[in-house]
Amino acid sequence: MEKILSKHFFNPEARRLSFYLQNDGYEAARKALTCMSPQEIIEEVMKSNLRGLGGAGFPTGRKWSFIPKDSPEPRYLVVNCDESEPGTFKDRHIIEWTPHTLLEGVMIASFAIGAHQCFVYARGEYVRYANILQTALEEAYRAGFFGKNIFGTGFDLDVMIHLGAGAYICGEESALLESLEGKKGWPRLKPPFPAVSGLFGRPTIINNTETISYVPVIIRNGGEWFSRLGSLKSGGMRLYSVSGHIRKPGVYELPLGTSLREIIYTYAEGMRNGRKLKAVIPGGSSTPVLTAQEIDVKMDFESLAAIGSMLGSAGVIVMDESACLVKALAVLGKFYQHESCGQCTPCREGTGWMTRILHRILTGRGVKGDLENLVRVANNIQGNTICALGDGAAMPMISFVTKFREEFESHIFHKRCTAVR
Amino acid sequence: MLQVTINHHPCAFENGISILDALRMLSIHIPTLCHDPRLQPYGGCRLCLVRVKGWPGPVTACNTLLSDGMEIETHSSEIERHRRTLLRLFAQRYPAAPARQFPDKEFHDDLRAYDLMDELRGAPDRSLVDDSHPYIRVDMSRCVHCYRCVRICNEVQGQFVWQVWNRGDSTRIRPHSQTTLMESSCVSCGACVDSCPTGALEDRSLLEHLASMSWTKTTCPYCGTGCEMIVGAHQGRIVSIRPALHSPVSKGHLCVKGRYAFDYHYAHDRITTPMIRQDGQWKRVSWEQAISFTAENLRRFVANYGPDSVAVLGSARATNEENYLAQKFARVALGTNNVDCCARVCHAPTAVAMKLMLGTGASTNSFDDIERARTLLVCGANPTENHPIVGARIKQAALQRGAHLIVIDPRRIELAEYADYHLPLRPGTNVPLLNAMAYTIVEEQLYDAAFLQERVSEWEEFRNFIQSWVPEQVAGACRVSADLIRRAARLYATAKPAMSIHGLGMTEHTQGTESVMCLVNLALLTGNLGKAGTGVNPLRGQNNVQGSAHMGCEPNHLTGFVALEQGKNLFESAWHAPLPAKKGLNVMEMMDAAEKGELKALWAIGYDLFLTNANSSKTKRALQSLDFVIVQDMFLNETAREFGSVFLPVASPFEKEGTFMNAERRIQRVRKVTQPLGQTWSDWEIICTMASAMGKGSFFNYHSPEEIWDEIRSVWKAGSGISYRRMEQAGLQWPCPSGEHPGTEILHSDTFPIGKRAALRRIEFNPTAETTSQEFPFLLITGRTLYHFNAGTMTGRTNNTLLGAADRLDIAPQDAQRLGLRNGQRVRIRSRWGEAILSAQLSPAIAPGELFATFQAPQVFLNHVTSPYRDAYAATPEYKVTAVAIEAV
Repeated sequence: MEKILSKHFFNPEARRLSFYLQNDGYEAARKALTCMSPQEIIEEVMKSNLRGLGGAGFPTGRKWSFIPKDSPEPRYLVVNCDESEPGTFKDRHIIEWTPHTLLEGVMIASFAIGAHQCFVYARGEYVRYANILQTALEEAYRAGFFGKNIFGTGFDLDVMIHLGAGAYICGEESALLESLEGKKGWPRLKPPFPAVSGLFGRPTIINNTETISYVPVIIRNGGEWFSRLGSLKSGGMRLYSVSGHIRKPGVYELPLGTSLREIIYTYAEGMRNGRKLKAVIPGGSSTPVLTAQEIDVKMDFESLAAIGSMLGSAGVIVMDESACLVKALAVLGKFYQHESCGQCTPCREGTGWMTRILHRILTGRGVKGDLENLVRVANNIQGNTICALGDGAAMPMISFVTKFREEFESHIFHKRCTAVR
Repeated sequence: MLQVTINHHPCAFENGISILDALRMLSIHIPTLCHDPRLQPYGGCRLCLVRVKGWPGPVTACNTLLSDGMEIETHSSEIERHRRTLLRLFAQRYPAAPARQFPDKEFHDDLRAYDLMDELRGAPDRSLVDDSHPYIRVDMSRCVHCYRCVRICNEVQGQFVWQVWNRGDSTRIRPHSQTTLMESSCVSCGACVDSCPTGALEDRSLLEHLASMSWTKTTCPYCGTGCEMIVGAHQGRIVSIRPALHSPVSKGHLCVKGRYAFDYHYAHDRITTPMIRQDGQWKRVSWEQAISFTAENLRRFVANYGPDSVAVLGSARATNEENYLAQKFARVALGTNNVDCCARVCHAPTAVAMKLMLGTGASTNSFDDIERARTLLVCGANPTENHPIVGARIKQAALQRGAHLIVIDPRRIELAEYADYHLPLRPGTNVPLLNAMAYTIVEEQLYDAAFLQERVSEWEEFRNFIQSWVPEQVAGACRVSADLIRRAARLYATAKPAMSIHGLGMTEHTQGTESVMCLVNLALLTGNLGKAGTGVNPLRGQNNVQGSAHMGCEPNHLTGFVALEQGKNLFESAWHAPLPAKKGLNVMEMMDAAEKGELKALWAIGYDLFLTNANSSKTKRALQSLDFVIVQDMFLNETAREFGSVFLPVASPFEKEGTFMNAERRIQRVRKVTQPLGQTWSDWEIICTMASAMGKGSFFNYHSPEEIWDEIRSVWKAGSGISYRRMEQAGLQWPCPSGEHPGTEILHSDTFPIGKRAALRRIEFNPTAETTSQEFPFLLITGRTLYHFNAGTMTGRTNNTLLGAADRLDIAPQDAQRLGLRNGQRVRIRSRWGEAILSAQLSPAIAPGELFATFQAPQVFLNHVTSPYRDAYAATPEYKVTAVAIEAV
């Protein structure tokens, strides 16, 4: 299988502009800016079936088409590189090993939506990788790829890289915008959506790093080519971050629709130490957990939705029989409690509650009714919060307790952990 | 109209309202915590979730707009279960005691409604209590994180005191200073307290009076903004004040003075029995004795020296009805036009200038125009301290809406921080600065040619005159760069609509009237008149200063600002009495006449002229020369203490009925909250009784303020449509000539009362004689501050004294350093006219070479320092410019 983004991962040379240019770098951008209209670019991206790879899976071309056309009002492109979802580390690889691919995508996307300013919002912990991106950006500026009159077309574009300050919530697009404006990272009420009123109240497109990074190849090879790489509704390839009790953790670039079993057993080379697979979180910590019986599912948006989970950020977390799922869930609960922004009631109050119940079960003080309470609070959060963080906190709770109920009950009623030591 | 069904019932609503608005209109109660109609919808508490058919999940009613065809369900078992679970989550951390102690709180209501009172498991936590503030108690163990305090401080007051710290369930709300409320930049407006649904923020006064209260809506007795408030009384004593939510002016907001400074009512030194001074000692007497003694004396002076030997001063603190009676008493009972009021010492120049140029001596527009203007020009006013509700609205216009702001003021006042341009002019140079702005508008052709053509006269003459007012030539004298003058002029002329708002920094000068004329010139040149978001708008200093003068407490005007000769026939027939023809004396002339022995007796109603008039040594000589001084007040003020012959104790505005007129010409009801304290009487009752003791009772036969008001309406056409009945709902702005007329928000839309056109005035600069010299190198500006009001009679008797010290001398740090002065050091301030001693306060807001001080403290008596110079037209004293020397004591 031909690699696109991961082709030159782990090759430090690939970060350099010279290397990138030798490999047809910025040719897609040149083509887009000199031979295509913004509308043609958007149509090409629509044809590619490229969908938001940060987790929500919204069709990228459609999102771009929401930007008001023929308006003199400034608009912005924001690249979400606040990659904070536990189990997800693909964007880091992109800016670490192939920063120019992202920058070329930024150029094409900005031209398509008529933005002259782009902000890349990277999580604060990525300072090292953000520096690599910054170096690449400066190189590209010096070569005339950014700034004024790019490719002699009269199109101007500036890019600024901004580092977050350590809040998971700032990966939520509207909280990210607040943070970028210098405020506390609290999600905004929607509508209005960012395409209408985003950064500084202006129309704004926010895309995930990986999404934008696939744009150059779509322009180079065509939308249809890209869409054929994947399953029917989700076009192309994507990067799967695979971690946990497997032999070969890492980032794998595979077509959408590759089965989870293939990812675990073929690419990640199976379970460690001959242990049995117990559970898999398929798309980052917020997505509902799967049992070992469910891993024949195809890893695309629709197939996972059909069995009640989500592709999310494609962060695959594999747990074998030695994992205590009560403990695993308690860790997740603690994470969401810590990261809840505190703005709306269900998430602020509920995440703490759930964590306290889990902690009680884990320390052998669980009582009858705890699981019902846990699910009731989770249900009360899910769908009832301002942003998706609440859902992300609730979904693992409900799925863990439903699918692995005996393990929880064993902790509560027998004060015994069933994990294989 | 939108057709929707709510709980299976079809209903219709106007477009543009939220689901919650619709539910409230139908009186369908759903719990809310984060909702406050003063704030942007927030959607944070999630209690207002409802089901809308066809929507994937429940939606928040507060921030979802109603749309056609919606089928809404508000109390399905699923939704109710959800609400109860949410409230249960709160209950686990919420203490039980306050929920039982304060059953009326919104949140406690909800707890009861969802049967959760027995599940309250929170514990009181002393570490979350902040007891530092004299008016507000903070107990964040009762915080439910609705963030209303944070948002109202941001969105209404614009002070950004409350901030959210930490995340998730560790979220805490603390002042930005991270210390106590007292140490923060809180301005004590109490908005957060008013919004808080649990009592985590609570008025101390309420905590002390838990029992049932009666609440009465009335109008604030402090400045001329005219905020409406709801006053709570317990057993006949005022214990709490809250803003009236639907007030047209204040829109549910109050400032520290209106909201908290009411304890003066019960100050130990409030006088509650009439007194007569005998052999230098005050002696308590009955009202009968006081009235007959006073009437006898007045009759004697009129008989012996003629009616013009007596004068009456109306009060900007009293109602319209009472001021109307005061001037009628002077004219009918005494037979003299010697009647004036304290408008003389503040905005009389505005009234004169605007009357002369535009035909009406009052604000052309309304406070609501602040939200409509693209540019606000604030001149010689410090609204965030002296008219805090107006100040907050200006601040929000600049902060939230991005309105342009130009501030012309010698000091770097708070609004200057939000301004596009701050022009820190040298005190006393309003005329050249405003002329140079006019020059720029003319030179750069930024004027409104169509408006000039249609509505303005003497344009050619003005164009020639203004040629000599080149900004570069006045820049030095004004201490403002020509570039800044030009930029400000351009902004005012081009970013329209532009509204000017001015204060006493414009009027209390020898060229006060002419300064206002210059301001009117700018409005005429740019066509910023007669439209929404424009105009020339004085901020009136006291609750009813607009009204007291307008009711006729002026020596040359009758009720309605009608000149004596013009109104003679109308008033003689209405009053069935002959009117004195001779123009009377204004306050300043009264002082002159007293000094010369021509004036013998003075009746001063609610006006401490000794403390507050400029140049106290002159005032002292005058008052000393009088034979008989009647002081009518709540307190034994300085005038009474030194010179009073009779003291008549009055009821406060919370103890009587009537009306006040605010700065935007709005007449609003004043209602009785409690019975008058002790033996105090309302001013109107005193005047009527006095008239009857003088044998003129038939002219003053009133049984209620409403009866007086109805007489006023019969002689004042512009107010004739404003009845007590109509004012029950909300105050009305004159002109309102009929019972159906909606009142007038904006004057001069099509024409001026003086005709189709208004003339531009050519104003020359006549600098004040009060200039600095080697001996007197500083210029002193006097004014007010946030926590104290004018003479401090009221605020000085409340806990406001804990929030802001009495008179201090603001001095630039550079000057202080040069003179070796430290914060708090006592300094002697000396002018050509007198001296005073007060504490220095280093302030970066003040320019080097200038000083600023308030004048409320009798111990300081700062007006010993101010000069005898007066405005050429209105005789208003020059409070704003005095050359002084200072030295450490």
